[in-house]
Amino acid sequence: MSNTPQPGSPTADRTGRFVNQPNGRVRPLSPHLQTWRWHVTMTASILFRVTIGAASFGALFALGWVFAVASGPEAYAGLLAFAGSPLGLLIAFGLTVVLFSFTLNGGRHLINDTGNGLTLKSAVLLSNIAVWGPIPLAILFWVVLFATGRVSL
Amino acid sequence: MSGPAQFRKNVKISERHGAGEWALERVALLALMPLGLWVASSAFTLAGAGYDTVAAWFANTLNAGLAIATAVIFCLFGALAWKVIVEDYVHKPASKGLCLFLVNLVFFALAAASVFFIVRLALGSAPLPAGIGA
Repeated sequence: MSNTPQPGSPTADRTGRFVNQPNGRVRPLSPHLQTWRWHVTMTASILFRVTIGAASFGALFALGWVFAVASGPEAYAGLLAFAGSPLGLLIAFGLTVVLFSFTLNGGRHLINDTGNGLTLKSAVLLSNIAVWGPIPLAILFWVVLFATGRVSL
Repeated sequence: MSGPAQFRKNVKISERHGAGEWALERVALLALMPLGLWVASSAFTLAGAGYDTVAAWFANTLNAGLAIATAVIFCLFGALAWKVIVEDYVHKPASKGLCLFLVNLVFFALAAASVFFIVRLALGSAPLPAGIGA
């Protein structure tokens, strides 16, 4: 292939897109992310993977909580003091966002898995609920917690 | 590999265990939907609660049972979901095998530790560190 340009060669590679492919050949980089218009269904899909990662990390906090309770009143009092600190409250708020995100986005995934909700309109609606819904739900959860005096600063 | 392709309702049936894992992941996620709402309501009940309240909550068999179910099913789902993510991004057989081994190990340890602590609390065992069965 004498007419194959070298990657980044200013004379031959006029597109600037020729790269060394993993198989060792020089080919244009195929268009991938840059050709896709960002859409909320894509956001919801990516966010579910992010949420699963965050929930896996959050499970460690849940394990720490159960461990503290199983370790007796003193250990639990220490955990409660940390949970009531600004950092602890921030982590706890994040965990509720992850919990609501997991439930709403998981529900969207299950509905779509059965072949339902896949028209443009309903797919966008379900994705919007899954992406944005967790934030007002988590805020409402904490507003009620503070309003009923269960948690205070 | 396998025999001739089989079809159900004109849809090709998976030749190996991929479809089973996919279905199991959905069943686990489906079970986590009501459990997730239960976790939210439990978190609301127990937020800021004292030790005695939390200990009494765990002494309730229904609470302890649902907590164990949540921990085990979440770890099952987590391991299957991370398997899909690893298979999407890690392609070298050795690296992929190592990643999947670590994923399974982490989620198995997480489930085992959760069940261990919850069972102790449900049985009203002495606070840790203590002898097993104390």
